[in-house]
Amino acid sequence: MNQAAIAIVIFLFTYGLIMSERIHRAAAALLGASLLLILNVVPWENVPDYLDLDTLLLLTGMMIIVNTARKSGLFEYIAIKTAKMARGSPIKILLLFSFVTALVSSFLDNVTTVLLLTPMLLYVTRLMELDPVPFLLAEIFASNIGGTATLIGDPPNIMIGSAAGLTFNDFLMNMAPIAFIDLLLSFVFIYLFYRSELKVSPEKEEQLGSILSRMDEKGAIKDLVLFEKSVTVIMIVVILFFIHDRLNIEPAVVAMFGASILLVWSKESPEGVFEKIEWPALFFFGGLFIVVGGLVQTGVIESIAEKMVDYVHTNGQALILITWFSAFSSAVVDNIPLTATMIPLIKAMGAFFNTYPLWWALSLGACLGGNGTAIGASANVVVIGIAEREKIRISFMDFLKVGMIIMILTVGAGAGILWIRYIGV
Amino acid sequence: MGIFSTIISRKFKNIAGTRYERILKDYKEFFLTKEELSLPVIKSILMPVDRSTRKVPEEIYEALSACEDAEVTVVYIMSEDACELIRQTLGEKASREFRLKQEESGRALLESITPSLERLGLKVRTRMLLGNKSEDVIRLSREKDLLVIPKLYGSEITKTTSISPVVMKIVQHVSIPVIVY
Repeated sequence: MNQAAIAIVIFLFTYGLIMSERIHRAAAALLGASLLLILNVVPWENVPDYLDLDTLLLLTGMMIIVNTARKSGLFEYIAIKTAKMARGSPIKILLLFSFVTALVSSFLDNVTTVLLLTPMLLYVTRLMELDPVPFLLAEIFASNIGGTATLIGDPPNIMIGSAAGLTFNDFLMNMAPIAFIDLLLSFVFIYLFYRSELKVSPEKEEQLGSILSRMDEKGAIKDLVLFEKSVTVIMIVVILFFIHDRLNIEPAVVAMFGASILLVWSKESPEGVFEKIEWPALFFFGGLFIVVGGLVQTGVIESIAEKMVDYVHTNGQALILITWFSAFSSAVVDNIPLTATMIPLIKAMGAFFNTYPLWWALSLGACLGGNGTAIGASANVVVIGIAEREKIRISFMDFLKVGMIIMILTVGAGAGILWIRYIGV
Repeated sequence: MGIFSTIISRKFKNIAGTRYERILKDYKEFFLTKEELSLPVIKSILMPVDRSTRKVPEEIYEALSACEDAEVTVVYIMSEDACELIRQTLGEKASREFRLKQEESGRALLESITPSLERLGLKVRTRMLLGNKSEDVIRLSREKDLLVIPKLYGSEITKTTSISPVVMKIVQHVSIPVIVY
């Protein structure tokens, strides 16, 4: 068996293991990577070329910042404040939670965002005696859409930004407007689809407003000094992300700088903070980079790109193909391995096409495709998992009939904007 | 458990680990319990007083001002046991004198409290009776929505506890909300 065939078999085997969820996805990726290294398909000296340190360090830095800030009660504060602002109105709760989820997701990872906001959302809907499903679905869609808006919002964007050398502002200029339009579209669709279930009597609304007003968001702040330091560092990090290209520093450096400043300033025990870093996620990324590196090393990706060029002749066709292929694939498989595989493919297509719009097409499809099915994105799984624990049933079909429409609407709108911008009417 | 639930549960464990439980624990202190959520409707209040009640704190008046249109029954209970004990040891005359003094101080106390409650717009009824300080309060509270009681109600002159045993007994036996001041 030649090296290329071994790389393909190990790649498919790893993908299969990840999809089956029989073993942890980090273990599956590491197994695939180890096999490639043992069989010398990827030579040891080439590993640093495939391990995307930008992505790994950016993720690590943000995890440190989030885990340190979380101890202060910052995110509970945001959730309680959001619930209070809604004053018992179901529409306002839907709108505000969608907006806050999208905003927080654009700067933090989607899983952390939904883990922090879902308990509050469930509590509010329980008080209102409303069906929580529309609110939970809106939260999922908002999280995936919000993550699309920035370089640091969703792992595929981090990987794309690092591979293509795109800046934070590039993402803001290209993806944030699309995310904003998609958020509105998703809100309007959820409202129209569930409008009969979003009604409560004025008395109930007033009663809920009164109950929520009794909640003390300031009481959520467990450590005021850490809270202030966390907010300050997060603001510095966001400002640095805006200007990192002018300062000629990588986004990963910004994240690591913010993490180290917060660690030193807050005097939090590094052991405690490092313990909470999601090491399985980082090892999953590391393993995947090597598994996909096997396909690059053996020329498989290059061959696929050359074959694709036989069928795809224009930039417009490439844009549509990449957008919809990544969207539908991402609805079924994890968007991280998908993006890891698509990145070298788009790079290889660079010999034939202008890849700049294709990166946005990949970001659009990989991030928003996750809205399509219940297992399409991590945020979906986490919210549905929480719902199940709270005895709220959202079946695969319940999700599919709303999620697929949202996916087609949002990806379609985004693809349309990219087409107008880069291909022309 | 169906296939979908199994997949979701497995994926959830892989993605979130035990983070959700930790977050939920932090939230618990902010989520009001079922009891806290239902605001009781207060239409009738029982307010036992005795010699331990030197002055009703302003905070109590403030709290009672929220119970619009409620009727407050301020009750002064003279201990029948104490009167009987005096009668047996010092005689009938001493017992009668003790009772008259009790009635006099009770009336003065009731008259001092009534105007402050009426100023809050509450309907006030005063009662003075001879009986058992704990049993009668428990009995009277059955028809009331709220009990407001001084923490040293029914205590002996030499106070050795922060809450009198009589109050402790009452709060353990009544089924309505209680404010102890």
